[in-house]
Amino acid sequence: MKKSNWLAALGLAMLATTAVQAQENNEIWHYYAAGSELAGMNALIDAANAATDQYKFSGVVIPGNVVELRRQLQTAFLGGRPPALYQSSMAFELKTFADGGQLHPLTDVWAAIDGDKIFPEGVQRVVKVDGVPFGVPFDLSLINNVFYNKEAFEKAGVDVPTDWASFTAACDALRTAGYEPLGNAGGTFWSLYNFYAALVSVLGEEGYYKMASGELGFDSPEFSEALDLYRDSMVSCYAKNWSGKTWTQTADDLVNGNTGMFMMGIWAAGYMEQAGFKAGEGFDMFQAPGTVGKSIFQMDVLAVPEGPGVAAADEFIKAATTPEGQAAFATLKGSLAPNINVDPAVYGYAGATFTRQFSEASANNAVLPNLFFLLPTDLGTEFGVQIERFAIDPSDTVKSEMISTLEGLRQEALAENAFIKW
Amino acid sequence: MAQPKSRLTRTDWTHIAFLVLPALLFVTFYIYPVISSIGLSLHDWDGFSPRMRFIGITNYTVLAGQPRFLHAVFNNILWVVFMLIVPTGIGLLLAAILDRGIRGEKAFRIIFFLPFTIPAVAVAAIWRWMYEPDNGLVTTVMKVLGLGGFAQNWLGDPSVVNFSLMGAVAWWTTGFAFLVFFAGLRNIPTECIEAARIEGATPWQVFWKVSFPLLWPSTIIVLGMAAIDAMRLFDVVWSMTKGGPAYSSEVLATQMYDLAFGRFDMGRASAVAVYLFIIAGIIIMPYIVYMSRRVQDSEAE
Amino acid sequence: MSSSSIEQRQTILTRTVLIGMAVIFVAPLLVAFLTSFKTPSEITRVLSIPSQLYWENYAIAFQRAGRTFLNSILITVPAVMLSLLIGAIAGYPLAYMRGSSGKVVYFILLTGMLVPFQIVQIPLFFLIQKIGLYDTIPGMWLVHTAYAVPFCTFFMRNFFASVPRSMYEAALIDGCSPNLYFWKLLLPASTSGLAALAIIQSRAIWNDLLFAITLTTSDSARPATVAISGFASSLQVEYGPLMASTVVSIIPVMAAYLLFQKSFVRGLLGGAGK
Repeated sequence: MKKSNWLAALGLAMLATTAVQAQENNEIWHYYAAGSELAGMNALIDAANAATDQYKFSGVVIPGNVVELRRQLQTAFLGGRPPALYQSSMAFELKTFADGGQLHPLTDVWAAIDGDKIFPEGVQRVVKVDGVPFGVPFDLSLINNVFYNKEAFEKAGVDVPTDWASFTAACDALRTAGYEPLGNAGGTFWSLYNFYAALVSVLGEEGYYKMASGELGFDSPEFSEALDLYRDSMVSCYAKNWSGKTWTQTADDLVNGNTGMFMMGIWAAGYMEQAGFKAGEGFDMFQAPGTVGKSIFQMDVLAVPEGPGVAAADEFIKAATTPEGQAAFATLKGSLAPNINVDPAVYGYAGATFTRQFSEASANNAVLPNLFFLLPTDLGTEFGVQIERFAIDPSDTVKSEMISTLEGLRQEALAENAFIKW
Repeated sequence: MAQPKSRLTRTDWTHIAFLVLPALLFVTFYIYPVISSIGLSLHDWDGFSPRMRFIGITNYTVLAGQPRFLHAVFNNILWVVFMLIVPTGIGLLLAAILDRGIRGEKAFRIIFFLPFTIPAVAVAAIWRWMYEPDNGLVTTVMKVLGLGGFAQNWLGDPSVVNFSLMGAVAWWTTGFAFLVFFAGLRNIPTECIEAARIEGATPWQVFWKVSFPLLWPSTIIVLGMAAIDAMRLFDVVWSMTKGGPAYSSEVLATQMYDLAFGRFDMGRASAVAVYLFIIAGIIIMPYIVYMSRRVQDSEAE
Repeated sequence: MSSSSIEQRQTILTRTVLIGMAVIFVAPLLVAFLTSFKTPSEITRVLSIPSQLYWENYAIAFQRAGRTFLNSILITVPAVMLSLLIGAIAGYPLAYMRGSSGKVVYFILLTGMLVPFQIVQIPLFFLIQKIGLYDTIPGMWLVHTAYAVPFCTFFMRNFFASVPRSMYEAALIDGCSPNLYFWKLLLPASTSGLAALAIIQSRAIWNDLLFAITLTTSDSARPATVAISGFASSLQVEYGPLMASTVVSIIPVMAAYLLFQKSFVRGLLGGAGK
């Protein structure tokens, strides 16, 4: 506690920290902080470093999710110290930052990698703002699959549902056999993703895009019908206490045989396999009713801020979009490679199934991006919150309140001309 | 010319010299950012684009009419009440018991302080398990005790979630109150306690009549920090529920975060921050003023 | 007789309370501790006992967070000392100044405690970058010291206020300067307060995440909390390494606690005041 001791210790600590400053790296900011996600990202970065001697790339993990990453980006943009590239969501996320003048247009590198050829059309439209590419896809996940515990289905004598009638019948049979029929988890996204199945059933692809562009209102009879379908066919099947669980806890329920089905993004397959529960053996999956032959997807892209790193970023993108680079990421992370030239043989049982679904959907021209990111950011977020609220309490009061809240925001966005046609 | 200077004694100059560095840090790291936030709160701004539109106090008036905002204010007040009573009370109780000298005192001292050492993200992860509604520890223990019927959907029921979060925070922060009270009790001169004992006071009387009044400085710190932590509460709520389900567990700091970075509305988020600052000031400052007076009174005696 | 039986009953009561509370305090930690030894497939059953000691989680934690633990120590130790020092030098005049000017300064400083740290990040980033301390450990010292000013001042002022004023006045009469009094008498007599504050600050700085994320990016300065929250973030939570690194990260703060709480010596002030 003596002053001299303090000063001595301070001096020591100062000496210890006069380490050599790290050489100027080209940073890639992302929030894949753990597990297979991190492994995938590291593989991508390794691939880029191997492909060029000119630049050195290193990943910087921003723990959290897209919100934390945005906070960090904002600080970096204002401070004039942006990374060379960062992990971005698609569509409106890109538009917001591009409109803010922070993003570097990727027209040249897009042409160099032949972006219009190697990515499916439905994927391309959500990385371009007014025809200019601002993001390059590297991580694609389908969000319209229902995972099920095979043993539960056998014991309850349930066949794989193909439409809403057989889906609700499956729920009843599972419940009778002592299972919670359908898992779900608390959070802004999960109920919303489930709701998309009902929404697409009612609206079709065209209506879905109309919703995204603000042409179709939340007060429309179609939207109301979709809510009713969601309530009667999915909310009624949800497991007791679902809202108090995280998605991994619900996945655990499926693994442990408490829950029969769980509609979740395909990363759930990766999670369950990691826990030793194998696709095709312990669990299997099917496309949610109303989305058979279609794919709804969530995607991460690489975006490049304006700044000194743009030349390096081009090199990174070239390496990250080769079939090898894309496969390296996707196979480790358990997602799909957006590049259509990736050999389907690289995937395991689950990945192969998802690839099959996705190419079928592409052929049908039924590839739908996550609506959340097609809507103006505040509306998309509120949409997620309101659907979760409705899933917890599917009463008519909540329904009409949510419709008026969302419709109010739609009108505001219309007045500001905030919607765009993707 | 030298007149006003000469009024300051050498002691005063020493005092002023002591204050220079802290004041400098304070102005740079507090006053400047706060003023810049107030400026932002008068604008419509997404947080990074060059376009920034001055809109006066619109952000403030819009917020004041929003049920979502008012609910967060209400939650913060609920948290203040909770933090003033529960972790503080338990901390005092534990410190008082252990101060009497009990077998295994050292072990207990470690145990009661342990949770306080854990980072917020880990607290959140641990309590997400505790509160797993079907198989979590809380529900399991209740089932074993035959209270299974009272088990709740701890984090998923909008009417329960706040209390569940409070349970986790009490577990996490009681160690602070315990530590400060324990240090405070140890700081009370033995003579006072011995004198009371000799006069035949029971331990209970010794505590309330002798120790507790002498604990004022510690009490002020614990209560002051409890109120402030309750107003600034962020980490655990954000990591555990993100303010959900459907805003039910939202507090001002998490709402500010969601507005700023979840929805690109930096101006409105800054207005929430300023409101938070003002509300905290209204609730907490009178208390601190009052408590500090009490200290000076007790010194004067 | 009867009084001793009352005492006995009281002892039983207090024991029961203590043990009950101890169980509540320990149970969640026990779950965390056990989880740190589970294989990924065992983690899906939270309340199960690990079938073996799976050290892999610790290996992962060290591999990904090892360097950051060192950074945390290099950040925390000096920052705690500096923040204690700054709190003490600000608290001293504020505890002893007569008149209203001291009070005004005190309350202005206290308002700092009401500022939510989330709102200062952007101006702070500019500032730290401009003075060239972005992504450096000394930058973290500065920030932690600066943001400790209100609380440490509050704490030390209240502590100094509990030191009998007679000690101060006696020293001045003996010809001791206020400066000398602070260093030679007041600080040594305040060990228990400084120790308590050292524990609180160690914990606060060690567990800081917000400033760390904003002001550091590379492994040369990032503290352990960033790595720990990395295990818990995004879609996947790696519970095994998360709990392993949590268990490890408790150790330094516990060490600080055990080290400093020895200074909570009863009667110290009573002795010094005489």
